Amino acid sequence: MPEVQAEVRIRPLDELDIGSIVRIDERISGAYRPDLWEQRIGYYLRRDPEASRVAESGGRVVGFMLGDVRAGEFGIEEPGGWIERFGIDPDYRGRDLGTRLFSAILAHFRERGATKVRTLVDRKDARVTGFLTALGFTPSPLQALERHIEPRESP
Amino acid sequence: MSVAEVTLEKKYHRAVEHWRRHWLPDYETLLAQWDRYFPQDEPFCLCAKMECGTPDRVAVGEHAGEPKRLAPDGLSEEEARHLLAIIRAQASTEFGSIQQHSGTLARAQDDEDRFWVLRVMAEELRHGYQMFHLLLSQDWSKAAAGVRGEEMVEEILSMGTGSHVLDAFNLEYDSFVDNVCFAALVDRVGKYQLTMQKVCAYKPMADSMPPMLREEAFHLAAGVIPMRRWAKRAAQGEGFITMQGLQRSINKWYPRALEMFGDERGGDSNVRMGFKDMKNRQAQDLYIEEVRRMIRDINARYLRARFPGYTPEKSDQVLDELERSRGRHDGVAFEDLLRLPDRRFFRRKGEPAWTMVGLEGESFAEVDDYLRHLAQRLPEAYLAGGDMKRYAETLRLVVSGQLGVEDAIRKMPRLKRVGGNCPCSRAVRWVVEEPAS
Repeated sequence: MPEVQAEVRIRPLDELDIGSIVRIDERISGAYRPDLWEQRIGYYLRRDPEASRVAESGGRVVGFMLGDVRAGEFGIEEPGGWIERFGIDPDYRGRDLGTRLFSAILAHFRERGATKVRTLVDRKDARVTGFLTALGFTPSPLQALERHIEPRESP
Repeated sequence: MSVAEVTLEKKYHRAVEHWRRHWLPDYETLLAQWDRYFPQDEPFCLCAKMECGTPDRVAVGEHAGEPKRLAPDGLSEEEARHLLAIIRAQASTEFGSIQQHSGTLARAQDDEDRFWVLRVMAEELRHGYQMFHLLLSQDWSKAAAGVRGEEMVEEILSMGTGSHVLDAFNLEYDSFVDNVCFAALVDRVGKYQLTMQKVCAYKPMADSMPPMLREEAFHLAAGVIPMRRWAKRAAQGEGFITMQGLQRSINKWYPRALEMFGDERGGDSNVRMGFKDMKNRQAQDLYIEEVRRMIRDINARYLRARFPGYTPEKSDQVLDELERSRGRHDGVAFEDLLRLPDRRFFRRKGEPAWTMVGLEGESFAEVDDYLRHLAQRLPEAYLAGGDMKRYAETLRLVVSGQLGVEDAIRKMPRLKRVGGNCPCSRAVRWVVEEPAS
């Protein structure tokens, strides 16, 4: 484990963070997916660049949380914050970076008039579910539903 | 965070719309396709956006702690004239970049890249509009001894590539590579200027900055993300855009971008008057480090695409080694990667103006050797243009002692006469008075 005593700074995402986020994702998922992150970070930077945050230690990005404020989706008219993706470099876990990223993004959502923050999580992922529960997330009355689409089927 | 939207008086709004029809003819296409390329984003609004709730006390300079000025009359004549020069330069860059982008926009290989740049152009138009709001919403004539905002607006709308305030906006683009490299390098300077001006002692200027900065974040992405994708394609051997092509465009724009900060020894007045919170060299140093990061990031993208089996650590190691040895690694030469030019390279303004310093910081004694060095490192289409010819002529005069450095600096750009006429008719002014009812 590297020396991680350097002070951590939470700041808004920028376009030069793509490489670092690709690397964190690769460490977590084992997949190298630069195209995906170029597309997603382009999306967040054009919509609301101050919402998404990164954690920087010693000039290196070691964590990120991407989200934005949306309204008018799924019949929810009032503005609400959505957190889509987050990740912490495994070497920097257990240092409260997720909480600090969440606090920063939450403050921005509040400033933008949101009164709720939402996300979707895989129930089988106990680590992520535990993290979100610790942040105060509770099951939502909105339920995520899905259905498989057969290649050919009658309506 | 709340933002107030303001529209200009009708005749000025119409003048901007008229200008837009000349220089941004794809504007209607952008609006029609907005939801396809930017789904769920707020629709584009041609208006001034003023951030509410920004600090109301001056943060830096000799007025620190005093209330921010709400109108020009609160400024001294020197301050008013200085601020007007900043606003004029800012407005000129916004309109100037649209004129530059429009020349090569249609040559984009990918529709997404084209629509990203189109959005950048529309937002630059809004930023110019924002500066017009500052010029027109208050009477500057008393504070600035007769300078009228209306006249400045006419002048700015009449500027073309070649007559803008800053050199970076007086160069034509050679291809769509310039659209993208310009966004990555020149818009990045814009980000620094806007960030520094967030503290501005003139509150309407400070209030204008946060909404512009939010939009600028995407402009930088519209530069860096296509560069990353081109680097990947170049590494895979698929692309028509090579790393050498990107490097040549960087070599063309980076020196002009550095000069946008102003002379490295200056910037005291901006800080003293409370208009910016950094001096020129300080901001330029930070910018250089940021561009260094950008180039490293694109090189890393190139190497990972070239060697898909490498881990990030191995890729870093190879990049470090190539930068150190300037040698080769498994078919990749140091020259295949992007490099940050020396800050003195190809400069015509500022501290190193008219010195003959090469891309890597090497010095040249003979003009012909230096011009050959530049010719090998700049885009071919740019070399064939008038800017390069004027640069070479002026450099010869400076080196032979026939022209002083200060005079040479003043010669660039060679300003063309700026008139008040719309280019579609010599009889029509940009700003047309309402007919008397």
